[in-house]
Formats: sequence, C-alpha cells, structure tokens
Amino acid sequence: MVRVRSKSALALLVMFALLLTACGNSAGTETNKGSESKGETPASRTKISIMTPLHMAEVPDPKIEQLIEEKLNVDLDIQWIPASTYQDRMTAAFATGSLTDIVNISMTGANREAIKDGQFWDISSYINEYPNLKNLKQDVLNNTLVDGNLYALYQGRPLSRQGIIYRSDWAANLNLAAPETLDELYEMIKQFTESDPDKNNANDTIGLADRGDLTSGAFKTVASWNGVPNEWGMLDGKLAPAFMFPEYKETMDFFKKLRESGYMNTDFPVTSKTDQQNLIINGKAGVYIGCMCDVQQLYTGASQLNPDVQFDVHNKVVGKTGQFTVWSGPGYNHPYLFPKSAVKTEEELKTVLAFLNGLMDPEIANLLYWGIEGEHYSVVDGKAVPISDRGKLDREVIPYNTIEVGDPDTSGRLSGSYDYAPMARAQQLFTDNDNYVVQDPTLTLESQTFTQNKDRLAQLINDATYNYMLGESDEAAFNQAIERWKNEGGAQIIEEFNASYEMSK
Amino acid sequence: MSNQLATNKGSLLRSIRKNKLIYLMIFPGLLYILIYKYIPMYGLIISFQNYKPYKGIMGSEWVGFEHFTRLFNSPDFWMIFSNTLILFGLQLLIYFPIPIILAIMLNELRNEIYKKTVQTLIYLPHFMSWVIVVSISFVIFTFDGGIINGMLESLGFSKINFLLSSDWFRPMYILQIIWREAGWGTIVFLAAIAAVDPQLYEAAKMDGASRFRQMISITLPSIKSVIIVLLILKIGDVLELGFEHVYLLLNSTNRHVAEIFDTYVYVSGILQGQFSYSTAVGFFKGFVGLILVLLANWLAKRYGEEGIY
Repeated sequence: MVRVRSKSALALLVMFALLLTACGNSAGTETNKGSESKGETPASRTKISIMTPLHMAEVPDPKIEQLIEEKLNVDLDIQWIPASTYQDRMTAAFATGSLTDIVNISMTGANREAIKDGQFWDISSYINEYPNLKNLKQDVLNNTLVDGNLYALYQGRPLSRQGIIYRSDWAANLNLAAPETLDELYEMIKQFTESDPDKNNANDTIGLADRGDLTSGAFKTVASWNGVPNEWGMLDGKLAPAFMFPEYKETMDFFKKLRESGYMNTDFPVTSKTDQQNLIINGKAGVYIGCMCDVQQLYTGASQLNPDVQFDVHNKVVGKTGQFTVWSGPGYNHPYLFPKSAVKTEEELKTVLAFLNGLMDPEIANLLYWGIEGEHYSVVDGKAVPISDRGKLDREVIPYNTIEVGDPDTSGRLSGSYDYAPMARAQQLFTDNDNYVVQDPTLTLESQTFTQNKDRLAQLINDATYNYMLGESDEAAFNQAIERWKNEGGAQIIEEFNASYEMSK
Repeated sequence: MSNQLATNKGSLLRSIRKNKLIYLMIFPGLLYILIYKYIPMYGLIISFQNYKPYKGIMGSEWVGFEHFTRLFNSPDFWMIFSNTLILFGLQLLIYFPIPIILAIMLNELRNEIYKKTVQTLIYLPHFMSWVIVVSISFVIFTFDGGIINGMLESLGFSKINFLLSSDWFRPMYILQIIWREAGWGTIVFLAAIAAVDPQLYEAAKMDGASRFRQMISITLPSIKSVIIVLLILKIGDVLELGFEHVYLLLNSTNRHVAEIFDTYVYVSGILQGQFSYSTAVGFFKGFVGLILVLLANWLAKRYGEEGIY
C-alpha cells in the first residue's frame, strides 16, 4: 500500500513542479523571440546586439527587423525588455557583464559613475567619420557630455512641448481669449469655476486640473513662465537652485490661491495623471497645463462623452518679466552608449557606429518610425499619414521607434500630418517654443554630492513645496526646509556646481 | 512523534525512511527556502562594501561599518524607527485580534450557506493588490467628491481631508489592512477551532454553560497555542510592513508619520543606485526581527506555551 502511494505522490509532486516552472517563465521567454525567426543569414554579416525597452505587451513582428538587416547587411539581435523592468534588467546586465553592443541607459546616478570609470567607449574622435552621425545636433550632444567627453548618441525629443490645453468652447461662451499673461490665466481658471462655462445652470466645474508631479504637472511650467530658472540659475552671480529664487515662492502662492479659492482640484498632490485627464474628459475641469501633445488623447476621450467639445492649445503665457520663457528638456531621450564589455575592439566599435549611421538614413529612419510605405502609411504632400488600424501599427511598427537615432531634422525622416487641428497646431507650437527655451545649466556640470543625494534632497524640497501650497506650513517653514537642504549636502552641491561651471567657461 | 526525530544520525535516517511521505511533502518547500532564502544571504556582504555592479562583489572595495554608521547617524533615523514601531504596534494591538474574533463569530453561525458566503466574501480582498486597495480608498475618501465626504457634507459636518492629513494616515493604514487581510487570517483560526473536541462543548452544555461562556472557557483556551505561534511569527515580521502599501499612501504631508525603512531605502538607496546602503538597511531590519522573534519565543516558553522551536 505504501509503495503505491509513494509512487503517485512522487508523480503528483513532479507534475506540480513542472506546472510552476511553466507558469513562471512566460515573461523571460518574450525577450529573445525577435531574433529567432529568420531565414539563412550569410556568414559575412556583422553581428550587432541592442537592448531596448518594449512599451507594448508583445514583441513586434520581425518584418521590419529583417528589412533593416538586409539593407544594412548586418545580423541584428534586438533584445526587447519590458519597459517596467528595464532599469532592473540594466542593473542585472551590468552586474553579470551581459550588456549588448548598444545600450540605452540613463546617464545619471549610478550609471554616471560607471561612465566615468571608463566602462564605455569615448566616441568623440570617431563620430565625425560618419556622414549622418556628423549631422547630429551639437547642442544636444553637448548635453550628454560627461567630463567633457562624448559617450553617447541620442534619439531626439523636442526641447519643450509644454503649454496649456483649454476648453475653447467654454472660453467662447464666456468671451475669453487665450491667456497671454499669468493674470489672464488666473482669470480664465477663475471664470471656468464660477461663471458656469458649460451653460447648464449648475455650479459643477472647476478651472484647473493638476496632478501630483511638480515637474511634469503644471508647477514647473508655470514657474518657468514666471521667470524661475530650469532647476538651476544665476542668482547674484553664482549658480543657485530654482527654489531659492523669489519667483519660485510667487509660483507657490499662485497655486495656493487657486486651491484655496476652489479653482483647482483640491487633492492634486495625490491625483494621478489618469485622474487628472479624466477630470478634463468628463467636462469637470477646463484647463490642463502640460504637454500639448496630450490634446489628441483628451479630445478622443471627451468627444465620446460630448461630441460638441472643443479644445485649443496655446503656449505663450508671460509672467511679470514680460518675456516669454519656458523650461526645456535636454533635447534627447534614449542616449545610446557602447559598453567596452560587449564591444571589445576599435574595429567592432566602428562597425557598430556604421550601423547606427545607417539607421539615420532617411529610408531606414522612415522604416523605424512609420513602417513600410503603402502598408503602414502613405505619403500625402510630403508628410506621412499613418493607417487607421492602430492595432497593426502597435504590433509591427511602434516598438521599433525606440531605436531611432537623431531627429526628423537630422535624419530626414518624414514628419507626420494630423487630422485633428489642435494637434497639428501643437506640433507647430513645439517648434515655436524652441525660440524661448531655458536650459538647465547643470546638465553638463559635475557634482559628486548631487549624484549621490539628488533624489533624497529633491524629496525634501518637494515636500516643503507641497506643504506650503496646501497651507500646512508657512514661509518660515519653507525657509527652514531650504536650510535643511543646505545642511544635508545642498551647500556642497552649490560649491561643486559653481566650481565645475568656472572650469567649463 | 517528536521523540523519534532524535539527534542521533542513525535514528534520523530511520525516521526519514519511516515517514518517507511526510519528508517528501516538505522537501520542495525546504529546497525553495534553501535556494531562495539561505543561499542569497551571501549577498549580505555587499553591505560592508561599496558595491558597484560593474565591478562585481569581488572587485568592490571594503568599507566596514560605514553604511551602518551612516544609517544610525541619519537625522531621520529615529523618526523612521519610531514610525515603524508605531505602525507595528497598531497592527499587533488592533489588527491581530480581529481575525480571531471573526473566526469565533463565524464558528457560531448555524446556517451553512450563510457561513460559506460570508467566508468567501471576506477572503476575496486578500487577492487584490495594494494598488487596487489604495486606489479604491482614494475614490472613497477623496476630498473632491468622494463618497464619505459627500455623506459628511449632507449630514451637516464639514469635509475632512483624509488623504492629505497626517492625522489620518495611521487610521487609514490600519483600516486598509483590516479590510484586506482580516478575512484571510480567519482561515487558520477556523481550522484550529474546528479541531476542538465537541465532547468538551457537550459537557459544558450539560453543566449549564451559555454559548458565550462556552466560547470564553473552551474555544479560546483551546486555540491559545495557535494564537501564540501566529503572534510570534507576526512579531518576526515586525519590520516587513509592506513597502507597496506604505509607498502608495506616502505623500508630502504625511511623510513624518509614514516614512518607514523600506520607503526610506527606496529613495535614498535604490533610486540613487546605492545598493550597499540599501542592503545595510535591510540587514539591520532582518537583525532586529531576529532578536524580536527569539525574545517572543523565549517569553512564550517561559509561560509554559509551545514556542515555534
């Protein structure tokens, strides 16, 4: 009896174990499927591997990958890593020495130390040998320098896409024009709350919908309109952080007043982006300050509930300085670096650079971004019009966007045309913003203390900012927070950045 | 049974052969614990180093107790420590008795269908992730149009800002834990109660004991040892307060009551790539948990109860 029982018990155990392993590994096997389904590849092709984040649920169709391999004569190994675990995978890859030839990692924090330690190739002397890479924008490349050396190529992003999106039908109902100054903005938000802009005889609207993010929400943008520098600026001849400027406090007062008067969502520090957008989509709020590109999404959502809804975008809101200024990003996303653990010789480096140079050819750039002409998009008046089957684009084209190199100006890829007028207008305003951007001067400067402590110190100041805006603390408490920031490393950071600035002049 | 598992090697092998099936049953669990819990402890060494992923464990420099001193000297250390202990105390005092009470109450139900339905309904929240639980609380308690504030307003009271006030953090925290975990916790106690000899109840009934008296004098003492074991285990978990849960509730206004070791280490250690520091904090947490378990176990034995070991 015991024998029979132990046999079936063993069988059951083995079955369970197999079941568990089958369930557990589905995430891991996704990553390498891209490179498996190929035909014969000539032995003479160079092998190039690249790790890139995947924002979709599935690895894309290898059609485009195969086309690129043929046109550039390489054997491409794309490792798709789910975006949510990308950072962790990078760390693990570092630790186990399994980085690919091309990696796309952030250049701050722990990674910066690795860069300074010489783990990556310095490509300053090579880049000019390649016709397309040579054309990459110098300003943006400068923003990626570490210790004055160039380690990265980039994928471009507009410098600033910030602006306001507002209900233009409400504005028309109340005879309001697009706000040109901060006072007019305040007035519009106030009227949207108090003057029944949707004309339904009910007091059910508020002006501004914001979320709990001081950088990508409304705060930083409004601050830059009011003259606050981008993270760091010149105060009395020395570099100082933005929160030490009087204009920063004025911006905090602006939001504090809005909130206390009930003109914006009271719980904004804990409101997520989805909830913020829902407030606009549901017709509860009328003003959204952030990336003007979101107007498409807001319109799609809102028009389903109310077909008469109308939005418009606007960028130039001026503060007390009288000049329009807006903060800008570094101009790039996805810097591409070349680890020495994967690219072992100078020869290999040159082939990798040649490959990336090839990715910048207009033909390939269009493949990566838009897909196959005729199948995924058509060309109308020199602009690309994507097909309406979003699912097909998601499965076959969109994931490849993450390995684009350069920007439309430098690679010659087609820019898109948009049906929805405000979205097309937003694209124009992105370019308009370029003339008024304020950069973060510390992007290319060095401060060891900053690298080691920036998140914790930033948290200190963010907390103090929120507490002030929520009325939980007063100006004295805010100043105390600044003192604490200085004592816990901030004073050193100011010194280091200023020293680095002097050296770079 | 326990006499047979003697320390003598010969009799150990003999008892393994005799109780093959039982050992086979616990073998996967043992393997799992060995591979995933014991072997990785080797990584604790990096808390004594300045670990850099690209240098590996062997190549990183040794710094001794530097990270631990940094932790203890950090201006927030005592705040974080006391927050952790307070939240833990709340869990022990308020949350811990609830599954016991629920189990006893469920045991008293006569109608089987009703009992099963209630049991299923209260187990369900355990399967929801903390993100869902906190999001639901957000919708219910939000100042702009949440249900609770709507009710308060219509009853004539003024609205309360539950999410953005430090006074409400601890109540919300405990409430959410009770909602999510109490049902699941009743499982073990129900099993223990079901194991009580029904003859005891019959004898008590014959002596004229009321249901309430039966509960206090029979049920509770019978499950005492189960309660104590679970209590000791819970104490060992003292510093595992659930990073996800607290992180989701943390915001600028409640940080001074809500910051615990895990959230602190996330910002100061992991985000900034300081793996050694993060490991040092984790090491400290584990160490304190160990001391507390040993203490609790010793106390239990002292009072004549069975400890965990």
